Amino acid sequence: MQAPTPTPDKRTAVGMFFESVYRSIFRYGRLPRDGEGASYAVFNSLFLHIHPVKVAKHSLRFTYTFGLGVIATCLFVFLTFTGVWLMFYYFPSATEAYGRMLDLRSAVDFGFVLRNVHKWAAEAMVFFVVLHMARVFFTGAYKPPREFNWIIGIILLLLTLGLSFTGYLLPWDQLAFWAITVGTSIAGYAPVVGEPLRRFLLGSDSVGQEALIRFYVLHVVILPGLLSIFLAVHFWRIRKDGGLSHPADNDTPAIKE
Amino acid sequence: MKKKPTRMQQPEIDRRTFLSTLGWLGVGLSGAVGVLGNLMYLKPAVDYGPPTRIRVGRPDEYTVGIKETRENERVVVVREKEGFAAISVTCTHLGCTVRATEGGFECPCHGSQFDNDGFVTGGPAPSPLAWYQVSIAPNGELEVDKNVKIPAGTYLRV
Amino acid sequence: MKDVDTTQVYPRDPRKTYGLMELVKGTRPTVGLDEDTVYAWPHLLVRELVIFLVVAACLLGAAFLIDAPLEEIANPNSPPNPAKAPWYFLGLQELVSYSAFVGGVLVPTVIVLGLMLVPYIDRKRVGIGVWFARERWLANGLFLTFLVVMVILIIIGMYFRGPNWGFVLPWEATTGH
Repeated sequence: MQAPTPTPDKRTAVGMFFESVYRSIFRYGRLPRDGEGASYAVFNSLFLHIHPVKVAKHSLRFTYTFGLGVIATCLFVFLTFTGVWLMFYYFPSATEAYGRMLDLRSAVDFGFVLRNVHKWAAEAMVFFVVLHMARVFFTGAYKPPREFNWIIGIILLLLTLGLSFTGYLLPWDQLAFWAITVGTSIAGYAPVVGEPLRRFLLGSDSVGQEALIRFYVLHVVILPGLLSIFLAVHFWRIRKDGGLSHPADNDTPAIKE
Repeated sequence: MKKKPTRMQQPEIDRRTFLSTLGWLGVGLSGAVGVLGNLMYLKPAVDYGPPTRIRVGRPDEYTVGIKETRENERVVVVREKEGFAAISVTCTHLGCTVRATEGGFECPCHGSQFDNDGFVTGGPAPSPLAWYQVSIAPNGELEVDKNVKIPAGTYLRV
Repeated sequence: MKDVDTTQVYPRDPRKTYGLMELVKGTRPTVGLDEDTVYAWPHLLVRELVIFLVVAACLLGAAFLIDAPLEEIANPNSPPNPAKAPWYFLGLQELVSYSAFVGGVLVPTVIVLGLMLVPYIDRKRVGIGVWFARERWLANGLFLTFLVVMVILIIIGMYFRGPNWGFVLPWEATTGH
């Protein structure tokens, strides 16, 4: 491969060393401030290349999306971060858990901040995921070719509810205990699968230590893992289905049926 | 291959299709067995909760007409003229703990009411409170088995 | 040696990695047919960054101002009156208080299956990309009704249900235990 034509070099050896390290990471020097540079910025980054290089102006209008999907995603990021941090102190035991909550609130530096952020972000995520769904509905964005992404969206909503519900038990206070007792009893009303599902969730006949450990594993591993996978598919489908919905999708067979 | 199969001819399945179908069936079957095994693993087999067979004291500790609530065991022990009975205090509506009252039981969560035999007299509860089997343990104490549900009105005569 | 044409079809630009770029005609990548587009960097990414920061600020603000609730330690022997499910399930709990089957089984199943079937029933490609398109009044009306009913049920469950799941006015409510 041919290197860029060397310009007369006034840099020091140290400067050149850092330059080479920088280039080993980013491959390119200062990107040109033009379309080409803007393109490289996006598709040479693992984290940014979920975006297309160019997006329709229509999908950027704030009053079209109100950023609801992005807000929900941000909340999930904050929840993952604060959740992992809380795991350093939390202990899923019926005798220990509540004490750890008190410690988080009073003894651990900034413990209350992490707990509060986690709690309010969780409530907000349920709220914003529903709002996002409403936006998609009212703008007809679930119509072909985006039908399947709507289904994935519903799965994501159910996973969000599952995450919030399983997290609800973990503080092991009165609110948690009775909300889960009531919630799992509602699940128990389903015919055939209801009672086995309730027992699968609780690991016993009533809410107790077994329920706590099961909810914990679901809350910190299984459900976030599933949600991450479906979220990735959700994003990927946005691009595969031609970006955000757009008036140009009306009766223009972008994908021939 | 394109020939229309007549009645005499057997439908042709070539070796490749047959083996590949068989292979995929095998993959599907092992997948199903795997899923089943995992579900069975998750089905609670051992109950680590509170014991389900509980001793509630000697029969002569109870006077006729008493309804003694054992909160930790989530059961109320009833002594009537007919004998002994153990009724669950878990509300059949949404799992709250019912309270024994003058005329029966009531749930503080959502207002379900039950009569002395646990039958629903009001509120949202869909079914009567469960009756558990009561027996006399070898040491003479009453033993309640929460795994065995019996019809309402079945008393243990002593 | 035979005379082989060694010119590459897509000459490798040393400043490029292999990518779709090299197969695209013209000097700029495009999406869609119209050119009513802007570059994701910075137009989209800066907006996302702003949203991220606003969300972070709001969460931190909320965290310092309002403490997450924490009641006494769980006690299986003393149910609160009334015992309530998490707020997003209160609509269902409200329905369960009328009929266990309707609230616990019928409505959730119908909601989930109904929502999943929506895009396969309503396939006409009209009214996409506009809020409350006139042509979609029926679908939008139905969904709006569904949302409003759910919100009303949740609000009733949150604020108008007191001891014994009886109807109370929120300003007269006393939390019984």
